[in-house]
Amino acid sequence: MRAILSPKGIIGGALVTVFALVAILAPYAIPANQATRINILARLHPPSAAHWLGTDQLGRELVWRVLLGAHTSLVIAVSAVVLSILIGLPIGVLAGYYRGWTDHALMRLVETLLSFPALLLALTISAVLGPSERNTILAIGIAFSPYLARIVRAETLRVIALPFIEAARSQGASDSRIVRLHVLPNIMAPLTVQATISVAFAILAEAGLSFLGLGTQPPTPSWGLMIQASRDYLDIAPWTALVPGVAIAVTVLGLNMLGDVLRDALDPTMAVEG
Amino acid sequence: MSYLARRLALFVITLLLITVVTFLITLVLPGDVATMILGTRSDPATLAALREKLGLNQALIVQYGHWMGRALSGDLGVSLIFKEPIALLLGQKIAASTLLVVMSLIFALAAAVPLGVWSAVHRDRWQDTVGSGIALAGISLPDFFWGIVLILFVARWLDWLPASGYASPVENLPLALKYALLPSITLALSLMAHLTRMTRSAMLEVLGQDFVRVCRAKGLAWGAVIFRHALRNAVMPVLTVAGLQLGYLFGSIIVVESLFNFTGMGWLTYQALLNRDMPLVQATVLVIAAVVMMTNLVIDIVYTVLDPRVRLS
Repeated sequence: MRAILSPKGIIGGALVTVFALVAILAPYAIPANQATRINILARLHPPSAAHWLGTDQLGRELVWRVLLGAHTSLVIAVSAVVLSILIGLPIGVLAGYYRGWTDHALMRLVETLLSFPALLLALTISAVLGPSERNTILAIGIAFSPYLARIVRAETLRVIALPFIEAARSQGASDSRIVRLHVLPNIMAPLTVQATISVAFAILAEAGLSFLGLGTQPPTPSWGLMIQASRDYLDIAPWTALVPGVAIAVTVLGLNMLGDVLRDALDPTMAVEG
Repeated sequence: MSYLARRLALFVITLLLITVVTFLITLVLPGDVATMILGTRSDPATLAALREKLGLNQALIVQYGHWMGRALSGDLGVSLIFKEPIALLLGQKIAASTLLVVMSLIFALAAAVPLGVWSAVHRDRWQDTVGSGIALAGISLPDFFWGIVLILFVARWLDWLPASGYASPVENLPLALKYALLPSITLALSLMAHLTRMTRSAMLEVLGQDFVRVCRAKGLAWGAVIFRHALRNAVMPVLTVAGLQLGYLFGSIIVVESLFNFTGMGWLTYQALLNRDMPLVQATVLVIAAVVMMTNLVIDIVYTVLDPRVRLS
């Protein structure tokens, strides 16, 4: 608990809370046409009282686009991480619980997928399926799932070696009962830590995919797309890159700080290393 | 020896599975390779003839066998967009990316080890806050944004280095290094950040051990304890992480090389993906995965040689 109330925990928690609130409320608070309204007369205006964060190459207000970009980021990153858990959790639990041949076969598959850099895997999946918001979620979710599976397997192995599992087994509890009531609750803490850090990585991945044109498609506001569009105007309008870039950095920083603090608090084996 | 033999056997199995996954990529495509080459509105008879020629009518396992056989003899097919043999393309691009990756590894280690040691030695003091803060910022900045900031400051405003391009190291080494400098610094950032965190925690662990206290007790200077004794013991896990992060680096080069128009493996992969040049996608994905796997194998073997405890466990 002390770790969570440290300055790092408070700052991280605050940043993540602000991000989540903005991401959830932005689509309701900002009229839909505000962020996509093109105003050629107001192209590439620097930040000012009239244009808080400046405008982009089509005269769209960056302040609205960056706030709505938070929504896109949150939806894609959280959905992708949920998907990676849905795939990785059963694989990891099965491999760790049954060990033996199940473990060997599943881990071969996981190791194979781990040989492909996650970003490469996500890009390939997205390119093959055709880029869209749904396929970006699929691509990132599938690319992250082997990491989840490996962590869940390791944690399952740790838990089933504990005496209370043997006790449950000697009382005649079935495998599914042991997994549901004893294994899953005991791997929740490390899974939470991993999920927090994964959301940070997923936000970076979504931005990277969109930056390369293989993620979110225009005109949906996305931070990666905004940076992509800014490349041609760097000299005359550097704010078009800085605004979304700082938004990504601050959000991911908050998630990483929170992830660090949660790990210290929830994972006793890591806490010693400070 | 049995550990190494088992490790090698697993390597071969995983490599085989990688080729299967890479081969299967094209099957997910709507349509097939023949449609990709000729377009969706082509004449059905021509399509059928091309399918026959490419062997697309044969059983999957047979197709896989043919593909593997050709790949093993060095024939990876012809790129649809570059109209060149893929093996030839790959040769040049791998050399370019190797230069980039080696440079960024050097930059990352050169920055991360001192920073990590500095943080660990001043644990929980302001120096640690600064060091850990830099590392945390490093893992939070997307590399393409960091690259754009570098382009803006170093290339555009200060005009010190070119913003984009590539020169062959064989023809003109100084120019090649000049072009590779900004992309490799961009690539190095997140690696540096991860390695700093690793160095810090490895150093903290070593500094807490008895032999460090003995060194101090016998009157050895603090600097000598840190650099001659502690760091030497902390450096192994750091190097391991550096090797494992190579895989991550091979993902990042796709973004960074495209940003800087640095025509290496990452750039080639991106062009292949963007244009859905499936033979080229298969080849680049296969090569990158194989390189990552081989790096992991080499690290494992080096580790076994250096640390006998691994073999026994």
